Amino acid sequence: MKILKNILIYALPALMLCNTSCDYLDKEPENKVPEENVDFTKVENMYQAVSGVYAKVRTGGMHWVIWPLSIVRDDDVWSGRIDDQTPLVDMGNYKYDNSFWGLNEMWNQYYGIIKVANAALESLDSYAANITNDADMKNYRSYCGEVHFLRAYAYYRLVEAFGPVTILRENTQTDMTRSTIDAVYRYALTDLQNTIDNTPRLRPNEMAHLGAVTAFSAEMLAAKIHLNMANYSEVEKLTDDIIGSGKFELYSDFYQLFKIPGKLSDESMFECQCTDFGLGSGDMVDADNWFVFQGPANDGDISGWGFVGIEKDFRTWARARGEKVRATTSFLEAGKTTPSGDVIRPLQNSTQTDCWNGKAYTPLNQLTPGRTKYGANNNIRIFRYAEVLLMNAEAKVRLNKSGDASLNLVRKRAEMSEITNATLDQILDERRMELVCEWGDRYNDLIRTGKAATVLASKGWTADKTYYPIPYEQLSNIPSLKNPPVDK
Amino acid sequence: MKRKLTFLVLAVFCFQMLLAQNKTIRGTIVDSSNEPIIGASAQVKSTHMGTVSDLDGNYVLENVPADAVISFSYIGMIPQEIKVNGKTVINVVLKDDIQNLEEVVVIGYGAAKAKDLTSPITVVKGEKLMSTPSTSPMGAMQGKVAGVNVTNSGTPGEGPKVAIRGKGSFDNSSPLYVVDGMFYDDINFLNNSDIQDMSVLKDASAAAIYGVRAANGVVIITTKKGQRNQKAKITYNGYVGVQKATNILEMANSQEYATMLLEANYDAYVSTMKASIDKFGGSYADADFHNWTFNSNTDWYKELLRNALITNHSIGITGGGDKSVYSIGMSYLHQDGIMDVENSYKRLNFRASFDYDATNWLKVGFSGVFSNSDQVLPKNAAWQQAFNAPGIYPVYDSTNTQASPEKYASPGAVGFTANFYNPVATADYYNSKNENYQVLSNFYAQFQILPEKLSFKTSYNYDYSAIRGREFTAPYYVSSWQQQAVSELKKEQKNYYNYIWDNILTYNDQFGDHRIGAMAGFSMRQQQYRYLWGKANNVPEGKEEWLYLSNGNAEGVTLGDDGYCYRGQSYFARLSYDYANKYLLTFTMRADGTSKYQEKWGYFPSVGAAWVLSEENFMKNQKVFDYMKLRASWGRLGNDHVKPSDGFASITTGNNASGVFGSSTFPGYQNTTYFSYLKWELVDETNVGLNFATFKNRLSVDVDYFYRMTKRAVISPRLPFSNDVLAGNYGKILNQGADLSANWNDNIGRDFKYSVGVNLSYLNNKVKDLGGLEYIKGGKTINMVGKEMNSYYGYKVVGIYQTAEECAADPIAVANGLVPGDFKYEDVNGDKVIDGEDRQVLGSYIPNFTYGINVGLNWKNFDFELTTYGQTGGQIYNRKRALRYAQSNYNFDKEQYENRWTGPGSTNTNPSAAALIKGWNVSDSKVNSYFVESADFFRIQNITLGYNWRNIRMGSYVLPGIRFSLTADRPFTTFKANSFTPEVSDAEGWDTEVYPLTSTYSFGVQIDF
Repeated sequence: MKILKNILIYALPALMLCNTSCDYLDKEPENKVPEENVDFTKVENMYQAVSGVYAKVRTGGMHWVIWPLSIVRDDDVWSGRIDDQTPLVDMGNYKYDNSFWGLNEMWNQYYGIIKVANAALESLDSYAANITNDADMKNYRSYCGEVHFLRAYAYYRLVEAFGPVTILRENTQTDMTRSTIDAVYRYALTDLQNTIDNTPRLRPNEMAHLGAVTAFSAEMLAAKIHLNMANYSEVEKLTDDIIGSGKFELYSDFYQLFKIPGKLSDESMFECQCTDFGLGSGDMVDADNWFVFQGPANDGDISGWGFVGIEKDFRTWARARGEKVRATTSFLEAGKTTPSGDVIRPLQNSTQTDCWNGKAYTPLNQLTPGRTKYGANNNIRIFRYAEVLLMNAEAKVRLNKSGDASLNLVRKRAEMSEITNATLDQILDERRMELVCEWGDRYNDLIRTGKAATVLASKGWTADKTYYPIPYEQLSNIPSLKNPPVDK
Repeated sequence: MKRKLTFLVLAVFCFQMLLAQNKTIRGTIVDSSNEPIIGASAQVKSTHMGTVSDLDGNYVLENVPADAVISFSYIGMIPQEIKVNGKTVINVVLKDDIQNLEEVVVIGYGAAKAKDLTSPITVVKGEKLMSTPSTSPMGAMQGKVAGVNVTNSGTPGEGPKVAIRGKGSFDNSSPLYVVDGMFYDDINFLNNSDIQDMSVLKDASAAAIYGVRAANGVVIITTKKGQRNQKAKITYNGYVGVQKATNILEMANSQEYATMLLEANYDAYVSTMKASIDKFGGSYADADFHNWTFNSNTDWYKELLRNALITNHSIGITGGGDKSVYSIGMSYLHQDGIMDVENSYKRLNFRASFDYDATNWLKVGFSGVFSNSDQVLPKNAAWQQAFNAPGIYPVYDSTNTQASPEKYASPGAVGFTANFYNPVATADYYNSKNENYQVLSNFYAQFQILPEKLSFKTSYNYDYSAIRGREFTAPYYVSSWQQQAVSELKKEQKNYYNYIWDNILTYNDQFGDHRIGAMAGFSMRQQQYRYLWGKANNVPEGKEEWLYLSNGNAEGVTLGDDGYCYRGQSYFARLSYDYANKYLLTFTMRADGTSKYQEKWGYFPSVGAAWVLSEENFMKNQKVFDYMKLRASWGRLGNDHVKPSDGFASITTGNNASGVFGSSTFPGYQNTTYFSYLKWELVDETNVGLNFATFKNRLSVDVDYFYRMTKRAVISPRLPFSNDVLAGNYGKILNQGADLSANWNDNIGRDFKYSVGVNLSYLNNKVKDLGGLEYIKGGKTINMVGKEMNSYYGYKVVGIYQTAEECAADPIAVANGLVPGDFKYEDVNGDKVIDGEDRQVLGSYIPNFTYGINVGLNWKNFDFELTTYGQTGGQIYNRKRALRYAQSNYNFDKEQYENRWTGPGSTNTNPSAAALIKGWNVSDSKVNSYFVESADFFRIQNITLGYNWRNIRMGSYVLPGIRFSLTADRPFTTFKANSFTPEVSDAEGWDTEVYPLTSTYSFGVQIDF
């Protein structure tokens, strides 16, 4: 009886207490690796942070809606469909709707790249604190250089789309006042100089991380920025350096350049890479619907959503120039059979485009057996050596030198006759043809040369339509975006 | 001590043997209408001696001491104690306990009589749930309790959403369920027949004993238990019913669809329409497209729907002896889904409970529920596709040569691309099953330290549940974007392991008119979750037995692994004091520790007081009120449903965070640099209430006013330059309102009894503070100080531009290129520009007023019950319509077609067809009031008609009772919203519901053996 009482009165409360030792509640969240717990002493893992930024370029920068927004504002390419995503048609006619969801997506995705890049640079600095030898230090600087390039790339695209934008120097920044175009370009050029100084002078396909960006990629992007800023001597200097390195070469087969055999060719300066791992099933690591979006309206697997149309006028112009190789490659026309034997059905809906982007077409016989997704396993070409040559030619002509040598390399590959004493307009026409349906360079050319006012006037372009408006969602949530841009 | 006690009992016994002669006592127990009560208990006080009445209400007690006191009781009757005083026949009339004052109500970690409560607690008896053919017990609660808002879901096997007294949290608002001591987020695994009763703890002072889990209210469920001294009672209960889709939203037919789009933009859409006519028949000979005809006019909802069976059978045995009580039971539920493919829910439940007085100081017991269910899941995406798909392509198309295995039509046949599907194919080619196992067990031991005064109870509750799921997609082809080239198998295994260990010391005593009760306890708990999944391709199709990941391709297998583990420990105490049944006081306190948050400990006090006015002398002489009690309480609660933050910046890894280099990835990571230290939400609630009974106990009324403030409410504003949101404890939300329930019970003559019950609930919700900010905008809605939480925010449509002249005269129309048929928005600041400054709050999903009216009739052997439920004052956002921003040629609902603007003067509220495909009117980021619709509805919740036979003599066997019933569940719902239901599942009221409501008509039998 007494024993029982003792048990009840002393033992049970004691039992209760012994289980209440304080560490019972000290439980870390499961399946989450704290950032502080990333082991920065494992310097061999340093590249993981860089790899994450490339991934963000693929998953964010290649969002399908960004693509048409980047290319529909020139005179050669349009949305391709009037029955769906009609704001894309309107955007091409400079009827900007700042509440279009795609603009907001574009803004957020490019800033997403910038945020991941900012964080990756911090990570790399933490690794650097543990580096003990020169080889690792060299890698560290080179890896930082790659990240700087990717960040500059996002700013470059943001300026192309929106003009003055915010420089997000830190991810925790609260003042979102925009900077002038000039200030953003200066910031991007500083980034690119870091890349030029620290990454190897190699082709991307020579890199240990196959296809990673190099000093030459950065020189090319810097040249593009200088071209927009009309610093032609800088453009010449940078492109001369790339050409002079002897590393790069135009891929001989223009048609295959954009297909599986042309992945990471010697012409590639920067590509967004995707893979199906060579397997017919299982996960793919790809750019979501970037290819599918611009797949033709067709039966079977060589088909997509049917967006991105190449205007008839442009095709007529191209054929009048005598374009064969580049026309065949770039124009994926309804009712025809491709050189690879894929049949594209005749147009069913006359309001849709009858010509899609051939540069985004991957033939059925190049797909890994088992894969049915349009464009599966192909990479997205972003920067090519051909444009380096064309920029070089333009800079030289602008500086009263001959640009013939560079220009004719491009023409020769396209099986076009050589030109002597090429003029600026001839070079701009060459760009228009060579780069059609690639990242909106035609519109950029029209803007920077001042030709937009005449060429695009018939479509309703006026100078105030140069850039897209700031997305409504951003403007209504972040008051500091309404401040006038500052020059810093 | 035990020896002492035994001696005492023996001594008393001997003494009585000597002094008093024991007698046999018999009698009849009847109710107030003189009907015999079967199974009423007659117990000799302070002993284990007792019996129950038989079929005729007769009882016999032998060997009763002459000075003994016998207590007579029956559920729902006021118990009586009668002194024997030498009598040998004692006949008793038990009166109905109309206000259930004597009813023992389960409260947190204990029980109390209803009359001793200081806070509003509503009890719903298990049998009340039996009339509703719902798969989850909470589904049967709709409209039954004031202040409890139940939103039913249509998916088979899926439980309803429940909110008690409004929404105080931006996150999860579902209450805590405590089943025999175990905590749950839902009770979908229980069968209605498993439940003895449910106590709904509505206010903070009642719920505060559950501390950090209690902010959204608490529902305590007791599974069935036996009764002492009762012969085995065997009950069968079953029903079979048919479920039928109701309130199906009417969609535009092919011709109407064509009309809309061709009016909107003839050139853009004419080829699609002509393609349908060319391919599937019809005519576009008429010059006016309004007269075109379509042979393909598929009603996709009709193609997907069927009437489906539901049946439930349960059998239970309860009983008890002097020292033990038991209850065991099993039930089987089978529900087919209303989608016309194989989809169903089958559930087999077993339960048992056993309580045993091992000695006079030790009582032990066990209760357990084992539930096993199989779900064959429907592909709910098919509903969405049916909603979007126009009728201009058929289900089958023999010319779709690539199609296999079935010749389903491809939307590509009329020129559609992705975003259009064949919904029947989607439903048909889906093959997914879940097996669920759940075991709830409770073991306890109760030590009586001082007889009838001090006891200690330790109980261990363990819940294990396992869900094994598999999803198999065999190769098929409908179109290039609706196909599976290689088969894919996904398997997943989810396990939950939770335990709670409670230790409770209870003390009760009485000194004269002073009655005190005290309780102190300690509890520990752990919630663990483990999730493992794998996916493989090329698994052979044909037999279920082949569906193993290892039969697929070894390359390309993907795996996932996840889990969580939270712990909590708590100390709690309750003190209650009662003076002469007049003045009641209750204090509770809980200290809660949790591993979920950075802030580990929280303290949750409460206080409640009640004054029973009808016990006062000055009330003794009045005749108006038979009973009256005034209550007031205050309490603090916590809400740990808030998703915990990691407390540190974490990184994202995996393929989506890894760059591709050549034909492989380099494992990468991305820092999600943002995090916040979240704390639990706090709720402070004051409740003032009054209960009274009047008209000779025929009318009883409960009224409560509550003022409920949620502090540190978690809100997730969008991060700048990002689609992501970051939660923080920013807000203060006030919910105030009143609950009223009134019940009238009466009879007319002997044979006719009736009752009418009304419950009303008024709620006013307001955001009071946002940490200094004026508003916080989330992804869907806005929170603005002074307005309802999660309000829709956008432009108010004030009309439709009717004429070109009107447009030309309006600078807003000119600036935006508007034409007749477009919306005219209110220019709030009058600056002749429509921009962000012109947005306003357009309503929110929170209903302000909910009501339920119940009528019960009994005439001879017939009984009839009608339950209704309705709500007003809430709005939904018709996201289904708004989604046209993403795909302009989705199908339209019929109302959009019928009421469209067709010319000047046709309508000033609905846009033209052309306007519906224009960004000004339909946009993802510009919300306008056209899409905000009233969520008011009224529903006949349940109609049941029953017929009872009692004491059917079959030879020598007497069957105690049999009851047949006919039930129509949710037979009628009415609402104005252009929707399948205004009860939407999204917490912010975005209506994306595409699953029709169902009505169930069933026939039920209950047999007591």
